[in-house]
Amino acid sequence: MTHVVTESCIRCKYTDCVDVCPVDCFREGPNFLTIDPDECIDCAVCIPECPVSAIFAEEDLPKDQVHMTAINAELAQLPNWKSITKRKDPLPDHEQWKDRTGKLSELIR
Amino acid sequence: MEPRPGDVVAPAATAAIATDAVVIGAGPVGLFQVFELGLLDIRAHVIDALPHIGGQPVELYPDKPIYDIPGLPFCTGQGLADALLRQSAPFAPQFHLGQTVNQVHAQEDGQWLVGTSTGTQFLSKTVFIAAGVGAFEPRRIKLAGIEAHEGTQLRYHLGAPSAFAGQDVLIQGDSDTAIEAALSLSATGPHRANSVTLVHRRDSFKAEPERVALMRERCAAGAMRFIAGQITGHDTQDGRLRAVHLTRPDGNEQAVPLDTMLVLQGLSPQLGPLTDWGLAMERKQLVVNTETFSTSAPGIFAVGDINTYPGKRKLLVCGFHECTLAAYGAAPIVHPTRPVLLQYTTTSTHLHQVLGVGHGTGDKSRDKS
Repeated sequence: MTHVVTESCIRCKYTDCVDVCPVDCFREGPNFLTIDPDECIDCAVCIPECPVSAIFAEEDLPKDQVHMTAINAELAQLPNWKSITKRKDPLPDHEQWKDRTGKLSELIR
Repeated sequence: MEPRPGDVVAPAATAAIATDAVVIGAGPVGLFQVFELGLLDIRAHVIDALPHIGGQPVELYPDKPIYDIPGLPFCTGQGLADALLRQSAPFAPQFHLGQTVNQVHAQEDGQWLVGTSTGTQFLSKTVFIAAGVGAFEPRRIKLAGIEAHEGTQLRYHLGAPSAFAGQDVLIQGDSDTAIEAALSLSATGPHRANSVTLVHRRDSFKAEPERVALMRERCAAGAMRFIAGQITGHDTQDGRLRAVHLTRPDGNEQAVPLDTMLVLQGLSPQLGPLTDWGLAMERKQLVVNTETFSTSAPGIFAVGDINTYPGKRKLLVCGFHECTLAAYGAAPIVHPTRPVLLQYTTTSTHLHQVLGVGHGTGDKSRDKS
């Protein structure tokens, strides 16, 4: 089991979650954060931190986000996705994107 | 790892240690389990993967305040662990640290044979799994073929600095532990390494700034060096690791010859062999009943973050409750001929005796726990 970042994060990247992660399991891409499933310990403290409720326990994923489990695992292995442990500003146009759904086509690897 | 309060190093046993209870995990819940067992005349041996007690709060949040322990408006993870160790002291738990449990076998007489990674064995009437999120294991380096050198030229623990005397050592990591290791191996003295190279992917560190400053001074003095880069390859000839290849931030490659590589990328909890013990699990947690916190195997209990049941919340206060009922669940197994009586620490002369405290007044009207 692991926790999973869903599409809600795409083009927003608030990063509040990374401050509380006790095992530093978040990885940062150009416009999305992912969780490395090999590092996540399912402590769940990141879930309430996300202002757009993008994070779920794998078993609790909404049906239309189940594909994000595999995508999180894949992205966490990409060499250009680095560990992020300190919060930073969200992406400049986060306000426009935070309530949008179906953003997968916007994901930059 | 620095020694901390409560460190006990037990020698490896040659024969199985006979005991009433084995507690797996020396975190807050494991320590309180020892206390609750002690009140019911059940003595325990405690095993933990880390070289010190305290488990998750000490490893993950040592200085972060905890506000939800009943009666303690505020404490730290370390403070709580230290207090729980003091509380369990009357029951003289024996700690077996720096080892992980790798086997649990049922015996014909209903006891359990518990074996650890360092060869310690226990023959126990009961087992309490208080393993939290798993055993904290070093994060391994991901590089094809490098694992063949683990235990020889590739190490994940500093151990005795004298083992590196005269060697070319490469240390990977940016934590306090990594920088402390670099400082230790490059210090003047008979055990000094021939060369010390610290490698981290970029020139910024998680470690305390004071320690980083010391490291930079040491580099300026020529006693060690730091290279920013990622380890992207290695040369192995005739079974010996000769060098690793670094890719520097500017994209250039650099080979660093070495005798020993010390990877200190922190610890990550692993459930490990626990999943193979045939116990019922759900979502990687042990399924327990909420009367005794017994797992699906009679005599094996699970308490704290490792267990699951309807309504489970991973909170310390819930773990402490679970320990209490698990101890009562174990009492008929350990002392089958004795009735299990509810006793208060305020009034029970028997409990005062086992706790080693003076006799109370026994005035139940004022003094109920």
